[in-house]
Amino acid sequence: MANLNIDANAQNTYDAIVIGSGISGGWAAKELTGKGLRTLVLERGRDVRHVTDYPTTMMQPWEFDHRGQLTKEVKDANPIISKCYAFYEGSQQFFVKDAEHPYIQEKPFDWIRGYQVGGKSLMWARQTQRWSDFDFTGPARDGFAVDWPIRYADLAPWYSYVERFAGITGNKDGLDTLPDGEFLPPHEWNCVEKHFQKQVASKYKDRHVIMGRAAHITKPQPVHLQQGRGQCQHRTICERGCPYGGYFSSNSSTIPWAAKTGKMTLRPDSVVHSIIYDEKLGRATGVRIIDANTKQMKEYYARIIFLNAAALNSNLVLLNSTSNRFPNGLGNDSGVLGKYVAFHNYRAGISAQYDGNLDSTTDGRRPNSPYIPRFRNVHKQETDFLRGYAAGFSAGRSSRSNQEGIGADLKQNLLNPELGGWYVGSHMMGETIPKETNYVALDKAQKDPFGIPQLKISIAYDDNDEKMIKDYQEQMTEMFTAAGFTNIRVRDDHRNPGLDIHEMGGVRMGKDSKTSMLNKWNQLHAVKNVFVTDGSSMTSTSTQNPSLTYMAMSARSVDYAVKAMKKGLV
Amino acid sequence: MAMAAGGLISLPAWASNWTAETVGLTHNYLSSSQDELLANIAETIIPATDTPSAKELKVHQLIQKIVADCYDKPAQELFRNGLDAVDAQAQKTFGKPFREGDVAQRTALLTQFSQSAEPAQKEFYSLVKGLTIRGYLNSEYVMTNLTHYQMVPGYYHGCVPVVAKAVSPTK
Repeated sequence: MANLNIDANAQNTYDAIVIGSGISGGWAAKELTGKGLRTLVLERGRDVRHVTDYPTTMMQPWEFDHRGQLTKEVKDANPIISKCYAFYEGSQQFFVKDAEHPYIQEKPFDWIRGYQVGGKSLMWARQTQRWSDFDFTGPARDGFAVDWPIRYADLAPWYSYVERFAGITGNKDGLDTLPDGEFLPPHEWNCVEKHFQKQVASKYKDRHVIMGRAAHITKPQPVHLQQGRGQCQHRTICERGCPYGGYFSSNSSTIPWAAKTGKMTLRPDSVVHSIIYDEKLGRATGVRIIDANTKQMKEYYARIIFLNAAALNSNLVLLNSTSNRFPNGLGNDSGVLGKYVAFHNYRAGISAQYDGNLDSTTDGRRPNSPYIPRFRNVHKQETDFLRGYAAGFSAGRSSRSNQEGIGADLKQNLLNPELGGWYVGSHMMGETIPKETNYVALDKAQKDPFGIPQLKISIAYDDNDEKMIKDYQEQMTEMFTAAGFTNIRVRDDHRNPGLDIHEMGGVRMGKDSKTSMLNKWNQLHAVKNVFVTDGSSMTSTSTQNPSLTYMAMSARSVDYAVKAMKKGLV
Repeated sequence: MAMAAGGLISLPAWASNWTAETVGLTHNYLSSSQDELLANIAETIIPATDTPSAKELKVHQLIQKIVADCYDKPAQELFRNGLDAVDAQAQKTFGKPFREGDVAQRTALLTQFSQSAEPAQKEFYSLVKGLTIRGYLNSEYVMTNLTHYQMVPGYYHGCVPVVAKAVSPTK
């Protein structure tokens, strides 16, 4: 320990520290400050304030230098991040530049990151489905990873709690595979989506097409107005930041809410190096950061620490937090830290055309689309692969202008597009099985620009994923055929892991400290005042977009941590 | 014009949009004669009718910006060489530069490029035509006055009869 004088210590001491301000860190900050704890929020990136720091949010399409297209310079300099679907001229300011934050791909992995206050909650796809017990009991039933130490019932009230605050649109569908939540009015279907829903329902008892549940305010409630957020305007340019707070982000919701308590200190440009462990006290005492601007190391102290740096970075922080007691990373008595990382398989998709409903079309834009919850291997094992996949689905009507020819006729045609037929499409979201061989580790030699060891990522698909891709393509083809869709084409884009932006695990929860890092409260088994509630804590991945579960786990874990602290247990 | 939402949102100065003038000033990608030639090609593709032409909307300046910043070297060379080839061809077929040809002559020349046996000519024309269409349809004039793009208020109607397409509500 450095010889710090008492004054400096007092100035740098808080009740709680939250590492990261993304979707889960924002929730941890809101809950901790809401319970009266003086909380320091450390964010490695720059500050991004709601509205003020959304430079492109009110720009019209014609106001972009390249009409949204990425320049060659940006693409050449950023081969990884420019693969991300949400990365374009209007949103590039919220993504990391490849060269500034290097990592090592032992196997191909596209690591998509947003380093700023709000993290990736600014540019996320906003889909928010609950997990069900089919998901939480998965590993135990199917014999992989370890048993989850929690079940749906543990999380259900917390799902409700975060849904009400965040604002989630959805329809109560009454499905056991996808529990209903506290929903604002659902988005509207179009005719062909409705047609597909009916066809699927008539042919399959256990397959459902529902409207996606998403973090959009379709009807503001008092709690949203209190946050200064209003109704979503269907601009569908969310990844630029929303001036209305129409979708949920840390920036529009949890961070300003935490700030209003007067209990939060937000420190951007603070790259966390490690968590400080005091061997005499047997607990963590604080966090070491590198100031991104000065490159100086600083220390901050607190009674409890929430680690929410995003899945792989939370692994990195723990791996880099070594001491005599924990030579292999904080809390890593089991040796599982960094291992059993999994993700979502988004490789396959399908598209087709439909010749019906030609007397109707759609008007306007919708920031959401229908969703097909998992139907494979739900109640029993029925295929030669484990687990299953959910799918996105949507239909639209093409509008094409004839671009033949030249001159006045061409101009006339361009301004009078003709309605084409309907097109339909879907993509898979497959569960991958956590394996010891899918891991992250610190590289022994190479450091990042802050002097922190680079993360080495070794993650790949396996045979189970390949079988699942094939099954998705076959089943969707069958469902599309039954619905009368034509010109059906399946695809497998062979994208690298990582591009799903749903990497999870490495700091998994479990019942047994010999095989897991965290207990049922997202608390390190071996260090009781450190909690991890982001994607790294996930024991398995299920098929749902995970952010809502991180929010619920964060709120639940803070509730436990503060109660335990008051009882003197932490 | 940026719309204010629920009160005034003032944009920081650095977020101000580009105008054809600023692009022209900051980016001398083509010589002034090539610039003029490109403008005339764009005007031939999308001429003035009761509404402005691509040239009047300065679409040619956007084309240059996109080619200069977003395309690789081979495409950029194809673009420059194609411009020269247009003038060379004009001299050959109607004995004067492209800009002095009448509409029929210009149209015939570009149509010939679109069907050319020389891949470079065909690709050049297809590149310029594609960018002209894109730049035109995405211009402020067209999006504001002709196709009525509205950032807000947004809505989604899933099943609208084709015959009586709902008119976008205006505020």
